[in-house]
Amino acid sequence: MRLARAVDSALLAIAVFIFLFIVLFPFYWIVLSSFTPKYELFTIPPRYWFSTFTLENYQALANSIPLVRYFVNSLLFAAGSSLVSVAAAFLASYALARIQFRGANLIFIAFVMSIALPQIGGLVPLFELFKSTNLINTYHGLVILMSSLVLPFTIWILVPFLRQIPYEIEEAAIMDGARLPQLFWFITLPIMRPALVTMFIINFIIAWNELIYPLVFATSGSNKTLSVGLVELAVQPTAGGGRPWDLLSAMSVVMIVPILVLVLLFQRLIVSGLTRGAIK
Amino acid sequence: MRRTAILIGLLLLPAVALRLFTAIYPFFNTVWLSFHDWNPAFPPQQFVGLKNFQALTRDIAVTSSISFTVLFVTVSTLLEIVLGMAIALMLNRAFFGRGAVRAVNLIPWAIPMVVAAIGFRWMYDTQYGVINDLLHRTIGVKVPWLVDFWGARAAVIATNVWKSTPFVGLVLLAALQGVPQDLYEAGRVDGTNRVSAFFYITLPLIMPQIVTIGLFMVVWQLAAFDLVFAMTGGGPGFATQVLAYRIYQVAFTALNFGYASAISMVLFIVVGIASIIGLLLFRKVEVSL
Repeated sequence: MRLARAVDSALLAIAVFIFLFIVLFPFYWIVLSSFTPKYELFTIPPRYWFSTFTLENYQALANSIPLVRYFVNSLLFAAGSSLVSVAAAFLASYALARIQFRGANLIFIAFVMSIALPQIGGLVPLFELFKSTNLINTYHGLVILMSSLVLPFTIWILVPFLRQIPYEIEEAAIMDGARLPQLFWFITLPIMRPALVTMFIINFIIAWNELIYPLVFATSGSNKTLSVGLVELAVQPTAGGGRPWDLLSAMSVVMIVPILVLVLLFQRLIVSGLTRGAIK
Repeated sequence: MRRTAILIGLLLLPAVALRLFTAIYPFFNTVWLSFHDWNPAFPPQQFVGLKNFQALTRDIAVTSSISFTVLFVTVSTLLEIVLGMAIALMLNRAFFGRGAVRAVNLIPWAIPMVVAAIGFRWMYDTQYGVINDLLHRTIGVKVPWLVDFWGARAAVIATNVWKSTPFVGLVLLAALQGVPQDLYEAGRVDGTNRVSAFFYITLPLIMPQIVTIGLFMVVWQLAAFDLVFAMTGGGPGFATQVLAYRIYQVAFTALNFGYASAISMVLFIVVGIASIIGLLLFRKVEVSL
């Protein structure tokens, strides 16, 4: 019996170790590459440890693309999109969860089902629509697209969340003569704060990682995001035919660090938000 | 009464407007465009009936992208569910540092797909890549990953599975935590061992969640774009071409808007079929409970 338990915990430890290795090794490799001088990246066999630590890849990256500009664009794009999506979803969820009207459930289901419409399938009409309304290469155009993309999932999470909160407090406030803006500001928003913050963070991460919309709708340098800058570096033809792995690894690190900070700070909230949809 | 109706309208307006503008209208317009010839450089749209659809049945770039998309999604989803289940079972056990390991499990979901694609592309490099070096050291072989037909397909699927499995594991872990503990107690009293407890208690109880997440992954991965775009560009040849990337190329490189819309229709239909199968399956497991 004791032996069986020892074997059991040994197997568990091995499984955890293999898991950690598979998940973390690619990150180690990207970070290692980003601090390794270019000429040392192309050795056979590759070096598994920092031999010559250098920041020159980051320097070269900042010299070859407008890195700060792209970083700020990504930040504004992600923050704006998640703010708009959470705000629109909050208003819609209030109507769908709190006001008893016929068809509320149908509208809710329609929102959720629209997740299945593939983003890529609507690009051509969207492109023409954006051209004719002068929204291409604009910040608000990108925010409209991205906030709409994450909206169904946000509504999917917020409506059940609001439905499970008892209505009494809001009812009492209405009895006391609170108007809708006051009700939202003093009662509903504070009650929903955990869910709203969660969805803001999740949508921020999704928007930060987004490629297709900025790739198609931000064609001028001043609007490009980090994701677009990264794939441009990766697909553009180079003199020797190889890829600039020094720049690519440095840029990958730049793009991952803010995400890692968010994940470490808000792990609990993110997990609760992501699993709430599937588990009910 | 009337005031309530206005209020409902106002509250729903931003969300409905966003979806109509960026998802519903483009969808119907794509359906319309798929029966037309349209190059934005030569403006007038011309109605051509089924010509685009006839053309795509003979277009090897499209047919191979359909077959790889289906293969990519099927293999990825199956692996994600099996491996995700393993991760969930592991993270459901009590061990030192479990909180930290759960945080690590969140990271692949959170990072951009383009970063995963590019990082793995570097690691899969035939000559300088670390994966071939590790293979060479352990079993003495080197695989020409991204330049070989099946090598590239395997590499793309493996990268996708690496990125998406932890998310599936996360959802399945939450499902496991919802299984009432007393069922296991009862099982133990009856002398059930851990393996049969998994197959006779856990699995049937969380089957609805498995089907839900499976359906979600299928629908989502059918439209996968970033990975192939950043990792292989669809190559070598058309080996790793997926529908979403084909649509992008036909629309924005070849500027053949009508034809791109017809390929989008194929994608819509495949997503539709997958959703119907998924919903039927979900019904079945829900009812059988």
